Amino acid sequence: MSVPTDLRYTKEHEWVRIEGDTATFGISDHAQEALGDIVFVELPEVGRSIDAGEAYGVVESVKAVSDVYAPVAGEVIEINETLESEADLVNSDPYGAGWIIKVKISDNNADTDLMNPSEYESFLDE
Amino acid sequence: MRYLPHTQNDRQTMLDSMGMQDMSALFADVPSEFYLKEGEIGLPDALSEAGIVKKFINAAEKNRNAINTRCFLGGGTYYHFVPAVVDYVISRGEFLTAYTPYQPEIAQGTLQALFEYQTMIARLTGMEVSNASMYEAATATAEAALMARRVTRKTRTVIAGSVNPRYRAVTQNYLSRLEGDYVEVDMGILGTDLSKVIAEIDDTTASVIVQYPDFYGSVYDLVPLREACDAHKCLMVVAFSDVSAFGLIEAPGAYGADIAVGSGQALGIPMAFGGPHLGVFACKQKYLRQMPGRVCGLTKDADGKRGFVLTLSTREQHIRREKATSNICTNQGLMCTAAATYMALMGDEGLKTVANHSAAALDLLISKLPSHVVAASGAHYNETVLTFESGKKRDAFIAEARKQDIFAGIPLEKFDKTIEAKHLLVATTEMIEEDDVNALIAAMEVAS
Amino acid sequence: MSQQYSSVSGMQHEEPLLFEHAHEAPESISLPGVQADAPSSLDAFKRKKAANIPGLSEPETVRHFVRLSQWNHGIETGFYPLGSCTMKYNPRVNEQIARLPGLAHVHPDQPEDSVQGILGLLHELQGWLAEIAGFKDVTLQPAAGAHGELAGLMMIRKCLDARGEENRKKVLVPDSAHGTNPASAALCGMYTVEIKSGADGRIDLEELKKHLDGDVAALMMTNPNTAGTFETDIKEICQLVHDAGGLVYGDGANLNALVGVARPGDMGLDCLHINVHKTFSTPHGGGGPGAGPVAVNDTLKPFLPVPRIVENAGVYAIETEDEQSIGTILSTLGQTGVYMRANAYISAFGKQHIHKIAQDAVLNANYVLSRLKDKYHVPFEGLCKHECLLTDEWQNKHGVKTLDIAKRLIDLGFHPMTVYFPLIVHGAMLIEPTETESKDTLDAFCDAMLEIAAQCEAGDTQALHDAPLKPIRRRLDETQAARKPVLVWSE
Repeated sequence: MSVPTDLRYTKEHEWVRIEGDTATFGISDHAQEALGDIVFVELPEVGRSIDAGEAYGVVESVKAVSDVYAPVAGEVIEINETLESEADLVNSDPYGAGWIIKVKISDNNADTDLMNPSEYESFLDE
Repeated sequence: MRYLPHTQNDRQTMLDSMGMQDMSALFADVPSEFYLKEGEIGLPDALSEAGIVKKFINAAEKNRNAINTRCFLGGGTYYHFVPAVVDYVISRGEFLTAYTPYQPEIAQGTLQALFEYQTMIARLTGMEVSNASMYEAATATAEAALMARRVTRKTRTVIAGSVNPRYRAVTQNYLSRLEGDYVEVDMGILGTDLSKVIAEIDDTTASVIVQYPDFYGSVYDLVPLREACDAHKCLMVVAFSDVSAFGLIEAPGAYGADIAVGSGQALGIPMAFGGPHLGVFACKQKYLRQMPGRVCGLTKDADGKRGFVLTLSTREQHIRREKATSNICTNQGLMCTAAATYMALMGDEGLKTVANHSAAALDLLISKLPSHVVAASGAHYNETVLTFESGKKRDAFIAEARKQDIFAGIPLEKFDKTIEAKHLLVATTEMIEEDDVNALIAAMEVAS
Repeated sequence: MSQQYSSVSGMQHEEPLLFEHAHEAPESISLPGVQADAPSSLDAFKRKKAANIPGLSEPETVRHFVRLSQWNHGIETGFYPLGSCTMKYNPRVNEQIARLPGLAHVHPDQPEDSVQGILGLLHELQGWLAEIAGFKDVTLQPAAGAHGELAGLMMIRKCLDARGEENRKKVLVPDSAHGTNPASAALCGMYTVEIKSGADGRIDLEELKKHLDGDVAALMMTNPNTAGTFETDIKEICQLVHDAGGLVYGDGANLNALVGVARPGDMGLDCLHINVHKTFSTPHGGGGPGAGPVAVNDTLKPFLPVPRIVENAGVYAIETEDEQSIGTILSTLGQTGVYMRANAYISAFGKQHIHKIAQDAVLNANYVLSRLKDKYHVPFEGLCKHECLLTDEWQNKHGVKTLDIAKRLIDLGFHPMTVYFPLIVHGAMLIEPTETESKDTLDAFCDAMLEIAAQCEAGDTQALHDAPLKPIRRRLDETQAARKPVLVWSE
């Protein structure tokens, strides 16, 4: 199970990449594996404000459906529109082309709940 | 009991193999205080098969029906012709006694028929996609209102007063436990003025629901409604109660409807005193994932051959549970097969002929009306409202018609008790012949 | 292999879509009526383009659909042990009587005096269903089980509101419940809280008590539950919920286990929907139509939907208004044609035989369980009711999953059991034989299951992974279907 070292993770198996005041969200390799073949990703509208922990979209496989929750709060600045026609990118490249949205991080963010890669790996082992 | 294959011997052998004495051992986990004493339940004596047939023939003979009368009743249910082939196909045990096609490899028959049904319904209603049925028209209308709330994330529902009062009642009932306004637009009796409906649309409106042809049978242009919906980003829902109309007149899709819902009973399904009928539900492709109910989709099998499966099931209750697009599970599957068979037999030409004859019968009826009975003005398909000088005169006519085994129509106040009791809703289909019309008119003259 | 199964590969026909029968439409069917065109007032509204409905000759239409039918498995074809679905034989006489013109060609708005026969049959059935389920009254309006759930929850809502308890919105649902339960609650503006089942698959009283507070509107339960076992604490469960001020909704999907033997209404439930397409043998039709009448006790009776059929001195009438009613939930009285069949079915059993339905159904399920329990993992020990639950735990060790077992059964000539439901066990296989199967059929099915288990143990599993090979299509790609949905044909 791949767990890149430059990312932070949540207990719901989302990852976040923070670069300056921008954060990119996606679901982890473990999450995509558990869901199976992803067939559809429901994306939020650009401009929407999302709280940390709020469901901002939905990832669907043939027989399962899962909300995806924001690791940090922010305003949606970009969505991965490629997923509308190629949802399987979440399976094949969860940390790259399978990213879901980008947000501009809100000022009042406390990211204490996020796990670093080694914490996430031990969380997966539990 | 002839439906049970076991002999007493079989039963005992099976019990013995499990180390059980008798049948009661099988219910040892049910507290004995709840046991019923065998033979003491409040049911009648068992009937033989011959007894059952006799019982039902006797009961059926107490009813009048559309075959031994002249039936001008409509209001959502219509006496159209049902070809023998339709009934034969849906009597085939492989269609009749199959479950929902959860194991697609051994349900390709049901699935291909559903795919053909969806395709033909989409074409007939002028929409992009169709589901594989709802219960009937009223619940389909309510589901359309719920779907529009999901699509738009808005909560106000506007419904025209010219929508069948029963569809309105069920829609209102479905919405009444949820947040948001439900607005019925009073258009007056026989009103066709859509501007009153348009005036109620605002930016919080999720959907506006109209009926076409409307409850009173009137046909009018829906283009202004489309413009209003675009201006306020709300969904345009077009309901209908006799889908046969679209063999002839422009379908909801041609007016830009976002969702089309209504009754498919006209497509080879008997009236059966109210059901089972067929709820049609079709919409634009872009709203597909918010559509309620089951859908059948095209795919390939492991050898690359074309096949069909139930798909997009993550919308449904068994996966999304409380967030599902609807709670619907069992639907009207067999009625889809009936409708598909019917449409295949008819083709464009047959459907057009059904619609032409249905409309021509009404036109003939109107042309023969005596001067004291007035038909609604404007274009009508196969249904209209006749207005009498008084309730007394109307009822005298209904009674005279009944004496001659004619069901002349439905008093309008039966649907909406606020309407003055002098109107009669009258419908025709291709089952109405010229002499049926003549008999109706004769009764009118006798009663006047 | 010693056992001979019924499945063989016979003559099968590929059949194109209707739209691919590429020829000009033949002369259309001759139609009755006023042989004229629509009036000119409709000219402005005419379709500019035909709908493009193909139109085949009668012989072609018949052959098309008969060929399609031959790709289907129905109860009339073979064993159909779908758990929670009650796939029993559908008597042919029921089809015959439902088609009598005096029942099939009756308009729902005919005057009451012209429909006394059919109203009588419906009213009679209402009474029988109330008697069998142990309740006071029944509404026939709900069109299916899920629609009945909605009606039941609407009545519960209205009853609580009438008590001034508008704030109660919590609906408790066991984690083994049918998915329709939470979906129906959401439609009523209520929310569901899942109760974790106990180690025996039943409702855990201590767990239930934790959730019983002033917010509880109802408990929705299925008894026997979806694991096929009877909720032995049923009386206490109902009492606890009532004491907390809530009501108990019964999902009657599993009534076949009790019909004629015991009555849910006597156990303390406030209402119960009945799937007549399960217990009372109306055909499933490849996904409907069904019907979901709801039986209620005195607490909920005032809130029954309208219209209702009432009897007065031998004359039947339809009541359309009642202040306390939840109102109307369908445009007609209900799926009348389905009820004709249910009436005929109960008529055939009568008071002498009705209990044999549940007895033989439970006998058959326990017999199957007893024959399979040494070779398949049984998650909840003990008696089962009308269906038995197994899992694929032991076959997993050999790389075989429930899905493989199901697909292999197809090649051996059986419809698979319900798979992956209930969700409370991993790799569930829920088997419901029903009372209309012979011992020979049950034995053949069990032999097939044992043969599959033996193949797993022997490591001879390729046939399981490849299955099914015999039907007209092999395993279908559901991922492709969902990723790029194609729901209509385009040339």
